[in-house]
Amino acid sequence: MIRLLAALVLMITTIAPMAYAQNQLVADLDQKEVQITTGFNGAELLLFGALDRASVDDIAIIVTGPSKNIALRRKSNIAGIWLNTENAEVVGLPSFYHILTTKPLDVISSANTLKINSLGFDHIPFRLARDSKIDEAPLAEWKTALVRNMEKTGLWSNRPGEVEVISDVLFRADIEIPANIMPGDYDVRVLHFRDGAVVAENISTINVVKSGLSAEIYRIAHEYAAFYGIFAILFAVASGWLAAVAFRK
Amino acid sequence: MYVYLPIAELSMNIFTIIGLGGAVGMLSGIFGVGGGFLMTPLLIFLGVPAPVAVGTEANQIVASSVSGVLAHFRRGNVDIKMGLVLLAGGLTGSTIGVALFALLRELGQIEVVIKLSFILFLGIIGTLMLIESLRAIKRSRQSGARRGKLHQHNWLHGLPFKMRFRKSKLYISALLPFGVGALVGVLSAIMGVGGGFIMVPAMIYLLGMPTSVVVGTSLFQIIFVTANVTFLQSVQTQTVDIMLAGLLLLGAVIGAQFGTRIGAKLKGEQLRGLLALLVLAVCAKLVFDVVITPEDFYSVEFLR
Repeated sequence: MIRLLAALVLMITTIAPMAYAQNQLVADLDQKEVQITTGFNGAELLLFGALDRASVDDIAIIVTGPSKNIALRRKSNIAGIWLNTENAEVVGLPSFYHILTTKPLDVISSANTLKINSLGFDHIPFRLARDSKIDEAPLAEWKTALVRNMEKTGLWSNRPGEVEVISDVLFRADIEIPANIMPGDYDVRVLHFRDGAVVAENISTINVVKSGLSAEIYRIAHEYAAFYGIFAILFAVASGWLAAVAFRK
Repeated sequence: MYVYLPIAELSMNIFTIIGLGGAVGMLSGIFGVGGGFLMTPLLIFLGVPAPVAVGTEANQIVASSVSGVLAHFRRGNVDIKMGLVLLAGGLTGSTIGVALFALLRELGQIEVVIKLSFILFLGIIGTLMLIESLRAIKRSRQSGARRGKLHQHNWLHGLPFKMRFRKSKLYISALLPFGVGALVGVLSAIMGVGGGFIMVPAMIYLLGMPTSVVVGTSLFQIIFVTANVTFLQSVQTQTVDIMLAGLLLLGAVIGAQFGTRIGAKLKGEQLRGLLALLVLAVCAKLVFDVVITPEDFYSVEFLR
């Protein structure tokens, strides 16, 4: 909190002389790196900033994570059992997409502006790998299912009204990093809207890195899989033997 | 206090994990079973991805079998020759099983196959155990129970490659234990279980081994089969979570000590009846999972 206040004071003093400059937008995060350590259970980052004439304007913050390929599967009932019968591979999908705004995106701006700036779930590219098997349900249903399921994981979210504007000049928002976050570079875009048009944009990056014991275990499991397997066995044999000796009657 | 599991890639309360290990460890102490057949489904219920639950559980069973087999070795209750033949089958079966596992995972069907396998085997074993223990309870109330023949001869005893197993007092075809070992090996890889709950009845009823050497011999070969599964899953699917296995083990070791003491005070038939009910309850929950109309027909999974 003290850090936040200090930052805000600093920003007010630096912005004041520029009060007449047009479309001034300053934003920063209280933390630029998130470490997935052994005790990691999610994190919360504070984004704060300042702009001129906020009272009639809007702010949208879009946080996007590294692109991944995702298997999207559809179940149907076969002989009383629900099985995955159709599947699509969505390629190059942002693994993280959080939208934080002062008002809902479609209230802030027109569909066209949102599309040009690729803002919102509707404008995330939905590209399917060639071997995708989607026969029965229409494509639009698959797309809404994707958004719904990604929101369920907490990796995608749309939270209008989460950007708080203070005294028409300052704004702040809490970016929630869930525990299932993936390592990589996260882009934080802050957009300043006036009368539905983007008048200023600020981009910064958050680094999410695995660190500590968990990171090492993951790295070894993937890079030295055979060694990892042997180690796992030896570890189990040793602890099993130890347990037997310790509790020998 | 939360711990981030590196392979499962999720954050879980450390006490939940140790508690689960302790609870299953206690049950395995009370009932004298390995507990993998309960642990794997319970991990899945807690949200651990099914493949990781299976790979990790195989690793944990290595440890619990090592600690269990030592006592049997001291008492000389291990038929090593029989164990080695079972093991030859087990290594073959588990290698096939891991390959099958990787293939099913690719096809997006591994979760349902794991669940269906559990339903099938928990259902059968639970029902048989319940019937058997009810009969035993009834019998213990009547006096003068009759004993049946030790084992019957049938076509299985006509198979070639006969081998003498001195400790088990058997002269049977080596194909029999090899086949039993292979079948259990496949299940061990796909279900993340030691397979003792199938191996033990198969050894008694199918092979006709004396009950005194059954548990020790079964544990002896389970060590190597689950070690094989641990290694192959590590290499092929990277689903073995050492951190999760270690914490479960910590709980299981402590739980088993209490369990053994409790088990010694309870009656055998009632004990088996209770275990049967528990097995059937887990089975029912799994049936419910695959049969009930899902909340959402769609699901997502990140691809590597």
